Amino acid sequence: MRDLPYRWIEAIQDRRDYIEDQLRLGSPVVGLPYAQGSLLLTVTKGAQKIFEVHDRIALSAIGHPADIERLRMLVTDTASVQSFQSATEDVNLHRLTHYVLAHTFKQAFEAIVGEAYIIKMLLVEIGNGEAKTQFTHINYDGNVKVQHDSAVIGGTLEIENAMQEYLTAAQTNSERDLNTALKLALNTWAVGKRLSKRFEDAEENTKVTDEQIHEIIKTELKEGEIEVGILDTNLPADTKFRLLTQDEIHTARKTN
Amino acid sequence: MNHKGDFLSLLKHADTLHGDTKTTPNASDAKLNATLNTLQGTKNAMRETFQIPTQAHTLELTEATTVVGMRYNDGIIIAGDRRATAGTSVVHDRAEKVLPIDTHSVLAISGAPAMAYEIARVLKHSFQYFRRSQLQELSVEGKLRTLSRLIRDNLPMAMQGIGAVIPIFALYAPQTDETENSGKIYFYDALGAHFENVDFATTGSGSVWIRGVLRYLDRWGETRLEHMDQRTATITILRLLDTASEYDAATSGYNAKAEIFPTVKTITQLGVETLSDKYLKECYAEAT
Repeated sequence: MRDLPYRWIEAIQDRRDYIEDQLRLGSPVVGLPYAQGSLLLTVTKGAQKIFEVHDRIALSAIGHPADIERLRMLVTDTASVQSFQSATEDVNLHRLTHYVLAHTFKQAFEAIVGEAYIIKMLLVEIGNGEAKTQFTHINYDGNVKVQHDSAVIGGTLEIENAMQEYLTAAQTNSERDLNTALKLALNTWAVGKRLSKRFEDAEENTKVTDEQIHEIIKTELKEGEIEVGILDTNLPADTKFRLLTQDEIHTARKTN
Repeated sequence: MNHKGDFLSLLKHADTLHGDTKTTPNASDAKLNATLNTLQGTKNAMRETFQIPTQAHTLELTEATTVVGMRYNDGIIIAGDRRATAGTSVVHDRAEKVLPIDTHSVLAISGAPAMAYEIARVLKHSFQYFRRSQLQELSVEGKLRTLSRLIRDNLPMAMQGIGAVIPIFALYAPQTDETENSGKIYFYDALGAHFENVDFATTGSGSVWIRGVLRYLDRWGETRLEHMDQRTATITILRLLDTASEYDAATSGYNAKAEIFPTVKTITQLGVETLSDKYLKECYAEAT
């Protein structure tokens, strides 16, 4: 098919449409820094979606569970081997995304006779000392976007833009405490979820009101539960990652 | 990809990560052998370096000395002196012999530090890798077997008398009833067999001088070891190390001039904690 460029481009476009259609209803993920670290938040219906990759690196993704698992293992294996063969400090998010994940995503996406990964991934690395927190968003086609203030993944670009706009409008800074960050992240998630449901309901409006945010959280939490993974510099062990318990999440949501 | 959570198995196939198609299966095997050799050492290279054609025991390798662990009312307290010796020479007086492996386990080493540190490093990576890949902590039995395997792999070095490692492995199983002390102490032999010591364990050249004391304290002491609070347990363990250093030249006591203290850690429901020098200084003042 590569000898006929038009057919190849068409095939790639078909593949893109297919993957985006599959991702459209995925539960969004929000990444936010707070004073002592960073968090990833999503709402799940059973399966774990936020994972520890290495001491200071965590990931979450939307997409097909089998693809998420395969790529999670790839990045975890690579980080573990690199850490053992040299040192923990030599494992960094830039290397893992640019030299391991991005080209794996791209290769699978463009090999039109093979299977593509149905996935969007968000990784976070907290800095060591002066280094900044870094969020890295990898699209199913291998495109990488690096951000420092916050990051989101949602079913479509439109959903992600709306979530980012909500975060920008919230006007809090990275010195926020964990409880504030968690509540802001949950509301941002709700904006994304509301917009992804809009496709089901065939609505045109992209504005999400506070009432709709509260309504969608209430509705979604009947079947799902909030999952929050934190990378916290205050944790005494080398590993800075842990998942918050449901009690901790409940308490954080109640705190003013 | 390695879905078994086995870190050594992952290392065997490390070259196949990143989709590296140039690597042949033979190259992977060679990599495995190279990695395992870091644990087992290379007999010939050592002999050539140190010019010991036959009698390995004439080689004066760096060795570590007395470590002791015991149960107290909150969990486990475990300590080690700081001296590393080679024959009759003191080569280092700030050696760390009590090594945290994960949030709730510690390896206390006696024997050759080079091998012991490598075993501790592999162990740490193995536990981390299992947790990260399998999304759950390795079980207590799994942890014990992983250490057994590493010690057994080190047998050739131990048999030559140049790399034996006899550790104490102590852990707290946090998933059990919070009101119960679920601290556990395990002693290993050079072949990798592990035995649970209920109340205390000690190993290293100075251990012979304090094992009887531990037994006496536990059986006829005013307070049984497992009923001691943290401060009493700390004072007791510092006194034990001091006793070992009195009779064993390869064990150091508290160096007041340079303010070098033994390493003392506790393992409780809350995890591993290193007792600060300030706290140890206070305990020493009370102990003497």
